[in-house]
Amino acid sequence: MLFSSPATITTVKTQLQLNIRSRGAMSGVLTLGSLDPAFKGATRVSGERVMLDLRSVEFVEPAGICGLAALLEFLVPRSDTVNLALSGRDVPAYLERMNFFRLFGERVATDTDVASLEERQRHNPGTLQELINFHDEEEIPGIIERISEILENKGYRLRERVGICSVLSEVCANAAEHGASSFGAYAAVQAYNHIVSGPRRRGEEVLVAIADGGVGVRETLSRNPKYAEHTITDNDALRHALGMGVSGTGELGRGGGLALVAQISGRASGSLSLRSGAGRVTAYEDRKNSRNVPDFPGTFVRVSLPRVAEADDKKPRARTR
Amino acid sequence: MAEDQSRRGSHRVFEIASGDFGGKLMVTRRTGRAVREVLGEALEALPQGGALFVDTRGVELMDYSFADEALGVLVSRVAGGEYGERHLVLVEEDRDLLENVEASLRQRSLAMVRVDELGSEPGLVGKVPDHLVDTLWAIYDAGSITNADLAKKLGLNHTACNNRATRLAKLGLIRRKVETAAPGGRQYSYERIA
Repeated sequence: MLFSSPATITTVKTQLQLNIRSRGAMSGVLTLGSLDPAFKGATRVSGERVMLDLRSVEFVEPAGICGLAALLEFLVPRSDTVNLALSGRDVPAYLERMNFFRLFGERVATDTDVASLEERQRHNPGTLQELINFHDEEEIPGIIERISEILENKGYRLRERVGICSVLSEVCANAAEHGASSFGAYAAVQAYNHIVSGPRRRGEEVLVAIADGGVGVRETLSRNPKYAEHTITDNDALRHALGMGVSGTGELGRGGGLALVAQISGRASGSLSLRSGAGRVTAYEDRKNSRNVPDFPGTFVRVSLPRVAEADDKKPRARTR
Repeated sequence: MAEDQSRRGSHRVFEIASGDFGGKLMVTRRTGRAVREVLGEALEALPQGGALFVDTRGVELMDYSFADEALGVLVSRVAGGEYGERHLVLVEEDRDLLENVEASLRQRSLAMVRVDELGSEPGLVGKVPDHLVDTLWAIYDAGSITNADLAKKLGLNHTACNNRATRLAKLGLIRRKVETAAPGGRQYSYERIA
């Protein structure tokens, strides 16, 4: 069987690996961070055939699928062809349900039989927004109307709907305004019946992810000379961008969206992660963490909104009788 | 956005949730600009001294970008005198939706008078300097009051009282009238707008 597919073996010049964890809570999960080695490898690609190895992926979160879309937008124009290596049924089926093959099917090759996946019943109770590509602010109201309707049908309370929709609209608007690039931006939203981010605890969680290929937060804020001392590193710029009224144009009233997104996620005991350039900042209700990460060509936003069960404080108490 | 059928004198009511640009979900600056243009035209069509009541009660979501573009920018233009002696009042209950309007107006150091419904007792959204708040509600309690009476009520001298009321008028939160008074002086009086 060694020579069963010599064509594939001999023509693939570059194989891009991912950094998928094999242990712990994030074992097998495709996150943005797990794509770092592939982003790094992609900068060295020049016109050859490329294989992106996703075989160790068992679970894809919105951050992973948006990151994968951004990576492919970066990689496809630099390659002869990009081949995706997938294993099992779950991940290909998930990618199909998330419209991944509809967006990328013609630009990447895969050994998975996508047609058979299409025939399966398209049913994923947690999908709030499949992977979507958008370029313009004009497209946002339609995206918000659709997700609001889905949330309403799924029994989300008004307050939760408003939180999720506000987060999505503000972050999409930022991507459309500052993230202008050839591919625009990708967004995806997924609900889970367990907590995906951070330590294991009871509850549900909604994850919102958006990736754009624009100039990044540091360059946008650098346009405003007032922020010179806040734009020395990518992390300086990301931390500053979370402040109320911080914007590249400096116009009064601008720069409120991201601060309010951080407030909404903080109040829900969730988090807002921003990644741009070599910086990554995560804001929680009471603190911000930042660390240096490999370069990301654009801006990436991930928002975690845990759902507090309405009955949480009405748990049956031990009866004294 | 629909114009209320019952036009009450120099007042006009616009419901954001109905009509061409309206809906339950108001998001993005682009949509905010479109709504602001319509509101701006409605303000201009009012006689001097008139008030436009912007009714957002049917709206489920207004994101910050929309709130700032539709209301924040418009309130700043009213305060900047672009619409002369015409005023804006928000018709909205005290609920989460106000957060983004509040955030936008605070960013701009501006405020709007808010009523739960037409004819109900007014409140404020946004930021008014503390020392002006008492003056504002003293004018609203009176409905209409002269500078001399207001100064007496607040225990201020006439100049200080006039300065405070003038700032409130510039913020678009009250009407200020000048009357000639004997002997040869000018008498200022102030009126609530909602």
